[in-house]
Amino acid sequence: MRTSLIKNLALLSAGVFFLLGAAAKPSKLVVIAVSTEPSTLDGQAVIDRNSRVASGNIFESLLDRGANGEVIPLLAESYKNLNDATWRFTLRKNVKFHNGEPFNAEAAAFSVNRITDKAYKTQRASYIQKIKGAKAVDDYTVDVMTDGINAVLPVQMTQLVMVPPVAAKDKSFGVTPVGTGPYKFVRWDRGREIVLAVNKNYWREKPSIKEFSVRVIPDPQTQLSALQAGEIDLVLDLLPEQAKLAPKFISVPATEFSYIQFNAHKKELADPRVRVALNLAVDKATLAKALYQGHGKPMDAQHLSKGMLGYNVRLKPYPYDPKQARQLLKEAGYADGFELVLNAPIGRYLKGEETSEFVAAQLKEVGIKVKVQLHEWNAYRKLGRIPGTEANAFDLKYGWNSNEWFDASRIVSHITCKGTSSKLCDKRIDELMAQGIRTLDQNARDRYYQEVWAILNKSPHAIYLLQQNLIYGLAQRLDWQPRLDDEVNVAATRVSE
Amino acid sequence: MNHLSLPSFLLARLRDGLVVLFLVTVVIFVLGHMLGDPAALMSPVDASEQEIAHLRHQLGLDRSFAEQFASYFGSLVRGDFGQSLWQDRPALTVVLEALPATVLLTLVALVFAGLGGSLLGILAGARPESALDRAANFLSITALSVPNFWLGLLLIVIFAVKLRMLPTSGFSSWQSLIMPASALAIIHGARVFQLVRSATFEEMAKPYALVARSKGLPERLILGKHILRNTAVTMLTTVGWEYVRMMGGAAFAIEVVFAWPGIGQLMIHAASRQDFPVLQAAVIIAGAFVIVTNGIVDLLYRTLDMRVRAA
Repeated sequence: MRTSLIKNLALLSAGVFFLLGAAAKPSKLVVIAVSTEPSTLDGQAVIDRNSRVASGNIFESLLDRGANGEVIPLLAESYKNLNDATWRFTLRKNVKFHNGEPFNAEAAAFSVNRITDKAYKTQRASYIQKIKGAKAVDDYTVDVMTDGINAVLPVQMTQLVMVPPVAAKDKSFGVTPVGTGPYKFVRWDRGREIVLAVNKNYWREKPSIKEFSVRVIPDPQTQLSALQAGEIDLVLDLLPEQAKLAPKFISVPATEFSYIQFNAHKKELADPRVRVALNLAVDKATLAKALYQGHGKPMDAQHLSKGMLGYNVRLKPYPYDPKQARQLLKEAGYADGFELVLNAPIGRYLKGEETSEFVAAQLKEVGIKVKVQLHEWNAYRKLGRIPGTEANAFDLKYGWNSNEWFDASRIVSHITCKGTSSKLCDKRIDELMAQGIRTLDQNARDRYYQEVWAILNKSPHAIYLLQQNLIYGLAQRLDWQPRLDDEVNVAATRVSE
Repeated sequence: MNHLSLPSFLLARLRDGLVVLFLVTVVIFVLGHMLGDPAALMSPVDASEQEIAHLRHQLGLDRSFAEQFASYFGSLVRGDFGQSLWQDRPALTVVLEALPATVLLTLVALVFAGLGGSLLGILAGARPESALDRAANFLSITALSVPNFWLGLLLIVIFAVKLRMLPTSGFSSWQSLIMPASALAIIHGARVFQLVRSATFEEMAKPYALVARSKGLPERLILGKHILRNTAVTMLTTVGWEYVRMMGGAAFAIEVVFAWPGIGQLMIHAASRQDFPVLQAAVIIAGAFVIVTNGIVDLLYRTLDMRVRAA
């Protein structure tokens, strides 16, 4: 009786262990989790990060970003500026698309003309501004034409991916994408995963990971669980409070800058001293520590970080100095303070609502009563576009500014007199911004933009809050480094078994 | 309604169903178009008004509301649900692709909720205040008071992260089905249990049951024959209602937690992207399911009730 009980228990536990072993065996496939399923894999149509995890490893552009964010050749061997409105690219030879179509000048010109065609539906419209089209000069030379001088064309070309002329004309290109990149498309199980396999004919060094899958997991808690259970290898956006629970995590400064924009046309905010005072009144370091658990840091009073074009190295975050803030408000004639409304979108930015409340509480300390008002995203965007001089324009607006161009020109719509989102008008800033986009000499451009930030430091357009971090969750076995431009490069990734 | 003949009963149900479906469609269309601007959402944050307007035109969203409404309904009656704004494919295809996963999940969950809830309900109702009754009652009240997504997350942490017995999420093998179906079955089974338990309790107090018991009939027989027959109507309608509840939202929350590739997950994605045609198609299809289920429940109720009365 006793022995049979022990025997049964042994059998039972063996069975359980067998089941456990079967379920817990790590997947050979490298799996990356995304929270929303891409709508299409056509690399020219989409911009969102979840889509780029797959499409970014399938497609390549003429130019790329180097380790320090500098523009370097990729499918082009070299490029030069022929005249104000023409750039000439010399292409790499012996590159083929996954389906065997040759990559040549005809394909490159086709790619540029496809995305700039008005009939083509793309979310990237503002990324191809001022590009008119392209034409093949010979087999491996292509000219890209711009609408006048376009100083950021090389930057734009880092994101304009090359597509094969024959396959891209097919309506199914978005579900069976074909590029020149290190990975080729294998299959897409809707709602589940997208599988990519290594491109055996890749023109550069072959990646070590032979196959990977992009799996859709909408819930952040489930993503973390799947990472802990060893089912997935990489999670793109961990929440700050989840970081320490992941097997490994990497937290890196993103090209995202959070700020509270002023309407400088409003009576009380028109005085630059008031706007400086509000910057001094907010304790950015505590904000980063308390709400983001240190996954972010006060930005250097400019929507740029070191290494980006236009970054002014002399500028530092405004110190937290409520005393000085009160003094400045007094000088400006607002010793008794005043009232403002701070507008923020719902559910758009990580802890945006909490940050708004935090800032409101801090401004109250220096006598400014701030009411936080939350809006649905579209309403928030509409509000942001009402000119500052109109009665229903906002006072304060919380938002994030992304700068995946690494170039100060990206901020133009926020600070020029006619900018779509601007609530500030300064003739000198307008002049400098215009010169910046019209000048091809990058050093000169750098100086113009630095001067813009220096002006804004005395007359700020916003309360400069944080450079936000991206937090990646990694499986123990994954050896992966994030890129400065937030692209997920699988080709450079290794797995230790 | 019992005086109606079967064909006219069915016709009446069909008519009511279509009216409800029409109203659902109108509401979802109006709400969507009042609240959202998919073109603005699709454009990068710094896109100019002109770029947004261009996209709006390409999507056909710059036509007047009446025009869009008329063309949508015109197509709808021909079975055309429009194109997905984001995927450039027919919205109906997108929804029908996701539907089987939802049907599988909800039917499996329903079978377990129905069988488990009814069995425990009868046993507990027959012996009120017994250990079984107390335990089952406590568990069902607990299950009913926790949010369903939370129960899902709890299962994941225990069975996938700690014990490593089951996959956390997704749909890669039959094992993937266990946790989401269990989570749904527990929540809905708990309510089936509560209703069947009280129905049994009531039946047990009726004279015929007392007589049967006093005659010394074995309990097995009383429960299995008399009580079961008289509570069958409650069971069936409850189970039917639970299916309506699942398809009305509970299953969708569970799908999102478990990354289950059904129409719940699809709806969440479509809503966040304001992909109206997909959202509308999904709501209409889910609505049709609810209405058909309701019809079946009514039909069963009618048949059983008549038979019970006749007996």
